[in-house]
Amino acid sequence: MATKTQLESKSVFNFEQCLKCSICTVYCPVVAVNPTYPGPKQAGPDGERYRLKGDIFFDENLKKCLNCKRCEVACPSNVNVGDIIQAARIQYSTHKPGLRDRILASTDFVGTMANRFAPIVNMTLAWGLTKSVMHGTLGVDKHRTFPAYSSKRFETWFKREAQAKQAQYSKQVSYFHGCYVNYNFPKLGQDFVKIMNAVGYGVQLLEKERCCGVAKIANGLYDQARKHANINTSSIRKAVKEEGRPVLTTSSTCTFTLRDEYSHLLGVDNTDVRDSITLATRFLYQLIEKGEIKLAFRPDYKRRIAYHSACHMERMGWIIYSTELLKMIPGIDFVMLESMCCGIAGTYGFKKENYPTSQKIGAPLFKQIKEAGVDCVATDCETCKWQIEMSTGVPVENPISIIADALDVEKTIALNS
Amino acid sequence: MDNELKNHYDVIIIGGGITGAGTARDCAMRGLSVLLVERYDFTNGATGRNHGLLHSGARYAVTDQESASECIKENMTLRKIARHCVDETDGLFITLPEDDLNYQATFVEACHKAGIRADIIDPEEAKILEPAVNPTLTGAVRVPDASIDPFRLTIANVVDARLHGAQMLTYHEVTSLIINQGRVEGVKLRDNHTGEEKEAHASLVINAAGIWGTLIAKMAGVTVNMFPAKGALLIFGHRVNNMVINRCRKPANADILVPDDTVCVIGTTSDRVPIEECDHMPVTDEEVEVLISEGEKLAPSLATTRILRAYAGVRPLVASDNDPSGRSISRGIVCLDHETRDGLAGFITITGGKMMTYRMMAEVATDLACKKLNIDKHCETATTPLPGSEEKKSEETLKTYSFAQKAADGRHGTYTKEIKEDDIVDDALVCECEEVSVGEVKYAVDNLHVHNLLNLRRRTRVGMGTCQGELCSCRAANLLCQSESADKEAADLARFVDERWKGMKPVAWGDTLNEAQLTATIYEDLLGLDKVASKEGGME
Amino acid sequence: MKFNTIIIGGGLAGLTAGLALLKAGQKVALVSDGQSALHFASDSFDLLGYDAQGQAVTNPLEAIAGLDATHPYSKVADVAGTAAQAQQLLAEAGVKTTGEAKANHYRLTPIGVVKPTWLTVDDFVTLDKPDTTPWKKVVVANIIGYLDFPTKFIVAGLRKLGVEVALKGFTTPELTEARKSPSEMRATNISHVLTDPAVIADVARQLSEISAGFDAVLLPAVISMKDDANAKLLKQQVKTPLYYVATLPPSIPGVRTQTLLRNRFIAQGGIFLTGDQATGGKIEGDTLKSITTAKLTDAELEADNFVLATGSFMAHGLMANYEKVYEPIMDLDVDYTGAHKDWSEYGVFNAQPYMQFGVATDAQLHVKKGGKVIKNCYAAGAILSGNNRVKMADGAGVDMLTALQAVKNILKK
Repeated sequence: MATKTQLESKSVFNFEQCLKCSICTVYCPVVAVNPTYPGPKQAGPDGERYRLKGDIFFDENLKKCLNCKRCEVACPSNVNVGDIIQAARIQYSTHKPGLRDRILASTDFVGTMANRFAPIVNMTLAWGLTKSVMHGTLGVDKHRTFPAYSSKRFETWFKREAQAKQAQYSKQVSYFHGCYVNYNFPKLGQDFVKIMNAVGYGVQLLEKERCCGVAKIANGLYDQARKHANINTSSIRKAVKEEGRPVLTTSSTCTFTLRDEYSHLLGVDNTDVRDSITLATRFLYQLIEKGEIKLAFRPDYKRRIAYHSACHMERMGWIIYSTELLKMIPGIDFVMLESMCCGIAGTYGFKKENYPTSQKIGAPLFKQIKEAGVDCVATDCETCKWQIEMSTGVPVENPISIIADALDVEKTIALNS
Repeated sequence: MDNELKNHYDVIIIGGGITGAGTARDCAMRGLSVLLVERYDFTNGATGRNHGLLHSGARYAVTDQESASECIKENMTLRKIARHCVDETDGLFITLPEDDLNYQATFVEACHKAGIRADIIDPEEAKILEPAVNPTLTGAVRVPDASIDPFRLTIANVVDARLHGAQMLTYHEVTSLIINQGRVEGVKLRDNHTGEEKEAHASLVINAAGIWGTLIAKMAGVTVNMFPAKGALLIFGHRVNNMVINRCRKPANADILVPDDTVCVIGTTSDRVPIEECDHMPVTDEEVEVLISEGEKLAPSLATTRILRAYAGVRPLVASDNDPSGRSISRGIVCLDHETRDGLAGFITITGGKMMTYRMMAEVATDLACKKLNIDKHCETATTPLPGSEEKKSEETLKTYSFAQKAADGRHGTYTKEIKEDDIVDDALVCECEEVSVGEVKYAVDNLHVHNLLNLRRRTRVGMGTCQGELCSCRAANLLCQSESADKEAADLARFVDERWKGMKPVAWGDTLNEAQLTATIYEDLLGLDKVASKEGGME
Repeated sequence: MKFNTIIIGGGLAGLTAGLALLKAGQKVALVSDGQSALHFASDSFDLLGYDAQGQAVTNPLEAIAGLDATHPYSKVADVAGTAAQAQQLLAEAGVKTTGEAKANHYRLTPIGVVKPTWLTVDDFVTLDKPDTTPWKKVVVANIIGYLDFPTKFIVAGLRKLGVEVALKGFTTPELTEARKSPSEMRATNISHVLTDPAVIADVARQLSEISAGFDAVLLPAVISMKDDANAKLLKQQVKTPLYYVATLPPSIPGVRTQTLLRNRFIAQGGIFLTGDQATGGKIEGDTLKSITTAKLTDAELEADNFVLATGSFMAHGLMANYEKVYEPIMDLDVDYTGAHKDWSEYGVFNAQPYMQFGVATDAQLHVKKGGKVIKNCYAAGAILSGNNRVKMADGAGVDMLTALQAVKNILKK
């Protein structure tokens, strides 16, 4: 007998490792509220066997998958249920994304335009009339509060105000800021630079940064997403291999996309640099643990904070880094929320047809947050922030911003020099 | 189904395999009054235990031109009359480095001589056509092989025979033949459900009992020497390949890999077994080992693909010489007129052949029956589509179907429209792996001779998927439940779970063992089915 | 990252160990690779339902004393005391049960079979004796189109106990809407619908109507996945006494137990590493220093002690290939015999040898590698060798009692 015969204890065909135990269906947020979605088991491993038989078995309802990956986290057999569903969409879907989906997917292009006319855009987006036009003709739900656009991009700020100072640090990191920091919320990027500088690290931008592409994947613009993936991966490669700088991010979804979705879904090989792409909280936690840096916090900082586990954070298994880092702040009264999807899933919840589903999915989380009686919610995902703020009125912040806020900068600089 | 026997039939056909069902259809279409009796379920014998390969005949071209010619003729016929049972995959005959590439020329020449299209293609092209093929291949020939579902094919013949007035009784076992003054005049039957004894009379009795035909012949006091050749096969968890893959060499063990519906099947082995063992044939470890190691040579990824189960069937070969493996025995059709051969009137045996050539066998047997009954009707089975295959659905129509309807369309063809969707429960899935809805179960129960879960599985694929019946067995058992006590149904459920395990046991490692433990946890720990399981054992 | 104890496995055994360690003031991390076998559980926790001969056990404590020395219970010092501790621990997490270790009561399975058991979740059917019920007339009520509750078997099972049974179906517009999914009408999906107080009230009204004049109404366990609030709410609103019956998986009482234990573990300060997989361990001499995981690639998880509670084959705590059975994280010693043909036998309901396979442990539940004891790594639950849980109905008991014993052994040091 050939030596390798059946020596794997699991099939190498991932979908075949499914034991049909149906656990994934228990944790799927969509199936809980929308009976027209076939569910992760049916859409994933069950459907896959039939799709191998013929394209006719592809079901456009698969687009109702949020790509939250909670099925994968729940699966006791390590089946990449979410990947199977997304890969099937990429391979079989004949649906062409419409104008609305293209706009929602183009977070960077729309951002560029919006920054230029920020006050007008923000006012326009806030107008009831505009909202109802978008609702009616574009299919963007009228209930949605669009994230405000900043008048100054993060990159502009960085180049004008921060870049020159970075050279003085002996240790350097690259920063993948993402569209949200660049166009909507430069403050998070500024907070990140503030912390890194305080602990003795200089921050550099990548040579070229494009939107990570998560919204393009979700909206079926796979070729564009692949283009972005190639540009980002080669910029990251340059930073890592040539400059010797790890690439840090402040968004869990961007991180997940850069690390895992590029290779799993878009076929862009990033194995040589994947381990060098990391979340800022993870980077900081590890340096602290190794004793290489220290953080000092303001004694007057007092807040009750609840941590929300964003789906892709949970999938990466990195929640511990953000929560343990937050717990280091002496003035924080920390509450861990039960992990569940907020329902926004990037651009999903912005679509008129998904709005009710999106809000139904999030309802149990919103209830938890309201009952927790906290000053703010901490989460590593920007789209969770929009959703939770809109649905609960409780402010939401990235752990990096909370740390920056609580940080005693002078003391930290002193500790690390 | 009507269980009332008539006073007299033109023919009684013994055996509910594809040969019996096909003969019943042909006889009924020619206006004969027909009774078919089967001791267990349709397709219980060799019909339900083979590759599901619609041979092009290429496999036999070098060694058995007669069989090869029959195959290609029937191949083309079945594509037309049984299109809903056929998956037109085409096939490859590959040469591997250890094979003699010179054989390819002999092979192709023999194919052409038998009328089989056989195109030598570049190995690189073969890899593009079928990415699962062993990449070290040195030669490839493309032939019109395909896959065919024997369960569907048989049941389509059953349905058509019934539409033409035939009466079909499963679970009716022939206990003896009624012989009067050198003439077979009927059969004595036992209803295997109730134990009731019956008699049925006919002008002719046709023995179409496959390997068990030798025992029927014995009842008639005549001798039909059979050569029971066991063939073991393995089912893998999904369609690794989309074309049939064969080895281009003299037929040997485990050299055919066939994509069948949602799975693929590697086979076979060939070993002579005593007739007494034919009712119960566990697959041995040696057979499993041969199948895996040879199978890997056809498609290397089989080494790391989940094996769902193992099973074995018996080829009804007619003994002719001392070939210990039975490989060189002709797969040709044998039709015995016992009146001229043995001086016993009213008795015909139709045997030999292959599933592929069942229609031809039925035609030969029916021609003889008609001659004896002085009926002058021509065979029309080669040109009349089977029920379900009347028309081919357009892709546009299929697109409007639900997922389960698309799957059901592959099983029932045009009859999919008979599956009710009246109430909201009908489209609920009983079997999730194989997409079998409540409506389809109801349809099968009402129309397709379903008495138990095993019958239901053969009609619909319930329990044939990845998990081998982990939840659906219980769901389906509840749907089949008729009696107040549910004892019969609980015993049936226990038997079904055991029957699924029987196939998993020889390959119980890896994911299959994990699955078995999960199933045991559900059926024993959670449900307590083992506490009510019938101790008497199953009848199949 | 450094902890007092790291637990590998987030099912009943792992969480039990975790809660007990937190109670003792330890810093605990738990690595959980996917959800647990509790999702296939019944409504009960078994201690010992059947002896080695397959005879139903009435007094588990007595019967446990007579078990073979290879059975995991032989490594539990004080079975009665530990069992009481387990029940207490469940109650603290909000899993309220009735039953006692010295006398089995009986549960009703989803196909109407009566099985002996130790603890049953409150509001589920329990019987004091295997052949009688407290009722004369009951209604079995099912949601129309819900397939995972084999009503005809339940009804037949109850009739065998001498009860007059009526089978009734009901639905609400919201449940009918949920039935639009051909596959996703599972107990857990229904429980999402039955969170709306208005729907619960509608169900209660219908149940009251169809059960008027009956002694009890039995409903599949399709409500209250996270805690028992909605199940209680429904019970209060139905005029006839209402009892729940377990269903085919996913199991509502099982998911509820999992959720409550996990939430309590986190609330008590335990670190729960969700969806991560232990991939290896660093062993120095007789000591396990640290483990690595799939997600925390550059962090070694160090601890003074470790509990291995990764389950059996179906949970991938054990693995089998064509050649061997092995423990995948550290390649620990496994008790098993023969080649793959010997691991199982024909006759699905025979006692299957593979069911008893598990990691080898010494009397203190220490695991072994290469024949040598690892003195700070303990095994608990289904990964242990020596018992056939589907035959003996001892699964939950072995999970909880060996976990608590492992904790005692850790704390004793």
